[in-house]
Amino acid sequence: MVNGFFPHSLQEALEILSQHSAVPYGGGTDLMVQNKPCEAYLFLRKIPEMTQIKVDDEYIRIGAAVTFTEALADARVPQLMKEAVSRIAAPAIRNAGTFGGNLGNGSAKADSVLIEFVSDAKLLIKSLNKERLVEVDKFYLGRKKLDLAADELIVEVLLPKNGWDKFYYQKVGGRNALAISRVSFAGLFAIEDGRITNIASAFGAVADTVLRYKDLENMLLGKTLAEAKELKEEFLKAYNERMVLTRGRVSAEYRKTVCMNLLRDFLTQYGI
Amino acid sequence: MTSISDPVVKRDHDAKISGRALYLCDYPRDGILTGKLLRSKYAKARILGVDVPELPEGYVYADARDIPGDNNVQMVCDDTPVFTRETAEYIGDPIAMIAGPDPEVVEKLISQCQVHYEELEPTLDMETSEEFFFDYNYGKGDLEKAFAEADHVFTETLRTGHTEQAYMETQSMMAEPEADGSMCIHGSLQCPFYVKNALKRVLGLPAEKVHVYQDVTGGAFGGKEGFPSMLGAQVAVTANKAKAPVVCILDRREDIEFTSKKHPSVSVYKAAVKDGKITAMDIDVKFNAGAYTTLTPVVLQRGIICASGVYNVENLHIRGRAVKTNSVPNGAYRGFGGPQTFFTAETFVSHIARKLGLDVLEFKKANLCKQGDLTATSGKYHFRVPLPEMIQEVDEAIGYSRKHAEYSKPQTGRYRKGIGMSLCFHGAGFTGSAEQDVIKAVARLHKYSDNSVEILISNTDMGQGLHSTVPKIAAKELNLPYSKIKMKLPDTNRVPDSGPTAASRSMMVVGELVRRASIKLRESWIDGEEQVVEEQFKQPDFMIPFTLANFHGDAYPTYSWAVNAIEIELDTLTGLTKVIDACGSYEVGTPIDENIVLGQMEGGFLQSIGCACIEHIGYDSKGRIRNNSFSDFLIPTAKDVPHLKAMLHVVEYPNGPYGAKGAGELPVVPGPAAYINAVEQALGNKTYISYAPISAEDVCEILAKEA
Repeated sequence: MVNGFFPHSLQEALEILSQHSAVPYGGGTDLMVQNKPCEAYLFLRKIPEMTQIKVDDEYIRIGAAVTFTEALADARVPQLMKEAVSRIAAPAIRNAGTFGGNLGNGSAKADSVLIEFVSDAKLLIKSLNKERLVEVDKFYLGRKKLDLAADELIVEVLLPKNGWDKFYYQKVGGRNALAISRVSFAGLFAIEDGRITNIASAFGAVADTVLRYKDLENMLLGKTLAEAKELKEEFLKAYNERMVLTRGRVSAEYRKTVCMNLLRDFLTQYGI
Repeated sequence: MTSISDPVVKRDHDAKISGRALYLCDYPRDGILTGKLLRSKYAKARILGVDVPELPEGYVYADARDIPGDNNVQMVCDDTPVFTRETAEYIGDPIAMIAGPDPEVVEKLISQCQVHYEELEPTLDMETSEEFFFDYNYGKGDLEKAFAEADHVFTETLRTGHTEQAYMETQSMMAEPEADGSMCIHGSLQCPFYVKNALKRVLGLPAEKVHVYQDVTGGAFGGKEGFPSMLGAQVAVTANKAKAPVVCILDRREDIEFTSKKHPSVSVYKAAVKDGKITAMDIDVKFNAGAYTTLTPVVLQRGIICASGVYNVENLHIRGRAVKTNSVPNGAYRGFGGPQTFFTAETFVSHIARKLGLDVLEFKKANLCKQGDLTATSGKYHFRVPLPEMIQEVDEAIGYSRKHAEYSKPQTGRYRKGIGMSLCFHGAGFTGSAEQDVIKAVARLHKYSDNSVEILISNTDMGQGLHSTVPKIAAKELNLPYSKIKMKLPDTNRVPDSGPTAASRSMMVVGELVRRASIKLRESWIDGEEQVVEEQFKQPDFMIPFTLANFHGDAYPTYSWAVNAIEIELDTLTGLTKVIDACGSYEVGTPIDENIVLGQMEGGFLQSIGCACIEHIGYDSKGRIRNNSFSDFLIPTAKDVPHLKAMLHVVEYPNGPYGAKGAGELPVVPGPAAYINAVEQALGNKTYISYAPISAEDVCEILAKEA
């Protein structure tokens, strides 16, 4: 027997969550597969605050119940996010699947989450009495472990407004559609006045959570391209040593090879 | 309908596309018990005993002790038990079945069963196993002399992997005890008389007390040739004990882990080449049978008959062995042994050409068999071998020669391209003299007083379209509208045994019987009167009799032919390959329905590409299949091969209806050899890949070694 709550406002949803144990339900594309008996669901797709994309001074704010298809049709969503989202499953799944669901499922293979990691996205999380902004890498505590209390709801994904122009993306799936990522990589690059201002790399589906090493990125920040070239092999070596990957549908060695190949190619593409 | 090839709407189209077709899992469950199997957790273990929890009223536990007849599922040999004997021989070997009204309670009872095992050392690796179920040998010519006189001798070991049929509907069977003591068994199946014969023995009942019919069947690809006899026996034994109907529908994980699949193979090839011709081959083929023999002997026979490929090799020795391992028994998979040995033969011959510094396709052309040549088994290619024309058609359609030359130049950069071509045949119908000696097919037509005609044959429609195509034949010969010809899913109480729906035989053999029966009926037609006519199989006169003892004679009356070309682009950073273009020419005689045959060719082509790259069953160290779901066992989608072209090349076969011969299995045979050939070219022809499937991970390893 499935119990369902169908709130029509965020306030109502948070009130329900404060009193009942219920699983937030975006498109249900994972939950329907799990098909747990006697589960109670909180259906989110009728909540106006969660089904919109907005832009303010700082952020592109994607409601947690916005579907991937809706995001793909929206000119304000950065191209890098669209690259990743367009490779999720197949049209029927993208019509139903949501950004909040991709996060809440807790998987390091989630294709939209990779982009949130590489872009330093923040998540707006609310409960009846509290709201907080949490950085996406802090939100993931470990394999399938999230910084999310039972009465809390992921309400919005806040992507930075700028810095999306120079990107790199590759998904390695088992086939061209309906495929879970086996390795995924996203890079963002920026250079101002001849000095590197951003060189972010995120690796998905290779460990318990998406991986990003900001301290290693620091090696090249503020450097000129010529200086960065000098440091390239040292930089790659540092990644190679730091990355400890797990095996899954493919071996850890293969994952490492692909991650390093793509990281090197990302640098080369932007003149390093 | 002006030509027999003109397409009709498939008769199951509306019911299936609208969702109205009832598969076994759609039946109402009132009064029907759900059965679930208790399976061995170990690949090899003595079963010391089972503590069965107390069963609520209405629930039943059945095992080997409840079998009224013989604990053997009749296939080819007698070794596959209905329920385990003293030892379990693979993970999943069925120990018992529990059935009851509530599926969840049944599930719980199964989990509460305590099986006491004595673990034994399993054999999991086919390459080190020393237990052989079958060992065949045959040959011709003077091997020793040919090798002694050779300019070059080549040897290579080649391997093919484990693959799942991946039909959409999982294995499903139901048994219903009837008031007069007979048993009715029905479900998703290819061969109703196989199930009937197996069940007679298991239940110890005479033929008239075992009644089998086919339900709507959602795909089979060979997987429902042998296995339904086993699941049918399990539900029937349980139903017999419960005195109530029992249904068992495998879930996807159970189906992938515990039902028969394609035999993995390892073959050692040795060839002698003189003056640019292959003069001799010495081939040692091993198939992994798994734990029991099931259909392995016949799969292996076909496999070794194809082992020298489409080439005229005058001096030949072939040994074929089936290895026992403690893994799931392997069985029929579309192509039935051919996909394994055509991959090894085609790949080996390509490698010989490359090692000689010759163009692969030119070398193949120089060695092709032709009409009048002896086959591997010293039968004859009685009819035209159309491969040269088909090669040219494919070349023109995909630009093979131009692309092959272009991609042979050194390639640098992230993405690299390659194109490969492969050739094959598929022997139409059962191997050897089985049609004449064992099957003895009978087809019957029943004309009713309203002048409508019903076709009565035991051949099934599992989506391949036979029940849409056979009525076209009767309609044409009887000059009746297509809608006046009736045909239902077969029921052994109503139809004669026209043989199994397997071996690409149904249209060529049974279609021809229906054609002859239709002519007979037309000639004796009396308006408004009920009439019945029958026709029996007669072996074509031209055939050289086949003897299995020495594999000598015509193994098949005729052959269907295929040429594939596959063009790929390889990503050197990720090892991923993308199929840019794929083109196949198929010669299956006259297509009895052009749409249906092209659909078969396109589907089979995609399936064969899957077998070349992503379709791969993986095991853990205990012998358990790890990728037992469709999110882990992947098959290609249309997005993986967006450009796929299948073309028909028609050479009429005089003994098939209007020139038709075997079609169903052919397209799944040639793909992997063309694919591997293309990957090798994209890798700069520096490496010899002697296995399929090849994964992105394998490609990365090859690239790493080269670097």
